[in-house]
Amino acid sequence: MSSKILILGDGASGTIMANKLRFLIPREDADITVLGNSPMHYFKPDGIHIPFGLKMPRDSVKPAKMLFNYGINYVQDEAVKIDVNNRKVNGKSGKEYDYDYLIIGTGDRYTPEDIPGYAESALHFYDYNSSIKLRDALNNFKGGKIVIGPSSIPYQCPPAPYEFTFQLDQYLRNRGIRDKTEIHYTYPLNRAFTIANVSEFVEKYFEEKGIILHTLFNVESIDAKSKKVNSLEGESVDYDLLVLIPPHRGQQFITDSGLAGPSGFIDVDRYKLNYGNFDNVFALGDATNLPVSKAGATAHFQSEYLANRIAHEISGDVYFESYDGAVACTTVTGPGEAITLYFTYERPPRANFNSKMDYLLKWTSADTYFSGMVRGIM
Amino acid sequence: MENEIKPNKVVDARGSFCPGPLMEMIKAYKEAKVGDVISVYSTDSGTKKDAPAWINKSGNELIGIFDRTGYYEIMMKKVK
Ligand SMILES: Cc1cc2nc3c(=O)[nH]c(=O)nc-3n(C[C@H](O)[C@H](O)[C@H](O)COP(=O)(O)OP(=O)(O)OC[C@H]3O[C@@H](n4cnc5c(N)ncnc54)[C@H](O)[C@@H]3O)c2cc1C
Repeated sequence: MSSKILILGDGASGTIMANKLRFLIPREDADITVLGNSPMHYFKPDGIHIPFGLKMPRDSVKPAKMLFNYGINYVQDEAVKIDVNNRKVNGKSGKEYDYDYLIIGTGDRYTPEDIPGYAESALHFYDYNSSIKLRDALNNFKGGKIVIGPSSIPYQCPPAPYEFTFQLDQYLRNRGIRDKTEIHYTYPLNRAFTIANVSEFVEKYFEEKGIILHTLFNVESIDAKSKKVNSLEGESVDYDLLVLIPPHRGQQFITDSGLAGPSGFIDVDRYKLNYGNFDNVFALGDATNLPVSKAGATAHFQSEYLANRIAHEISGDVYFESYDGAVACTTVTGPGEAITLYFTYERPPRANFNSKMDYLLKWTSADTYFSGMVRGIM
Repeated sequence: MENEIKPNKVVDARGSFCPGPLMEMIKAYKEAKVGDVISVYSTDSGTKKDAPAWINKSGNELIGIFDRTGYYEIMMKKVK
């Protein structure tokens, strides 16, 4: 009998899972359907390059339907309700989808509405249009005070704001206006990054480059008129240009379906990735509440385990592996330099050395992503 | 005695890694009323440093850090 696999989401998680599963399971053994609502697939890591004119935005997007391998049923529809007890998902189109296996890869959404004043005052580089808007704002920037930071935790790709800041420093030097600009970096914790040893090198770099760090800064509100960003902890910083990563939550329909609380992030088993007592409902990527980075690389490692597990089960085998919390992160540390961090639940990341090779890896990551990783080849 | 204080809210963040426990505490703080006592259970050693730093900076009150069996408890009072 053929199994029905239903995947929600057409971003990194959904696309990688669908392609990996299709490689592993013969077509007669399983139907694979993906529901998604993004006709264009944007490679978000290029958000640290686009604002500085380093990459052409059009190179960072591909039509989503071109990224699915043969034998995958990709449907443009938005999931509006999941009924895990009756194994059904309702689409916005009015269609109902049933499944034997459900894989949720709907990522997260930005909720600027959680911060009063955000819409009128802040810019960011966390999606395609916003990165272009920020590029234009930087183009017109002649000097002043730039404030950068994540408004709260969690947010995608924890190194991205400091990578952006390193690149900004260089961009302003190239334009000859670094001496006319103050760069301030705010961070919700009492250091510059979530992980202590990585924080050390970030803080050292900030010091070398004259970037001013404000720690324990969870953004509460923005006063657009007086151009001040205020923290929950009672500090205010004024700005001329504010680059603030909006708060993140999981998708509303996940909360409405009873799979998560108001945060929208799904609690799944940290090793098996299944939801609650259901051994046929899984979540991966940004949609989960796991204590791992919200990163495409996380989704990639999780899909490695999950696709194999489901393929084994469908063929009557048992799969003994589990997800070990693996995350890999190549992060820009300066002009033409990057380092790669690799860690798991048990093993903290080691920040070793800067290398030009890692920068090349980062620079070409849209190409390797679209041609290899997202297609389930790697 | 610490045991005489009963928290209004207990956040069980055991098994969660940094910055999970601190972020859970901040979430509970946002939802709490002035005067409420919040307890966070954590197994992550980093929280012992991070949580008091946050409590101090935000102008709230650290009631104490207590070693329990296999975890520890950080107790704070929301004063503003
Ligand atoms: C600036 C920036 C830099 C980054 N750099 C890196 C990096 O260097 N390395 C790295 O590994 N990661 C990086 N990331 C993070 C990475 O992009 C994300 O973690 C990754 O995209 C998560 O994949 P996902 O599929 O879980 O979520 P997403 O990619 O967000 O995909 C979710 C998909 O689900 C769809 N969807 C949502 N709701 C529904 C619904 N109801 N029904 C159907 N479909 C739905 C959405 O349209 C979307 O296509 C970066 C992110 C940013 C913003």
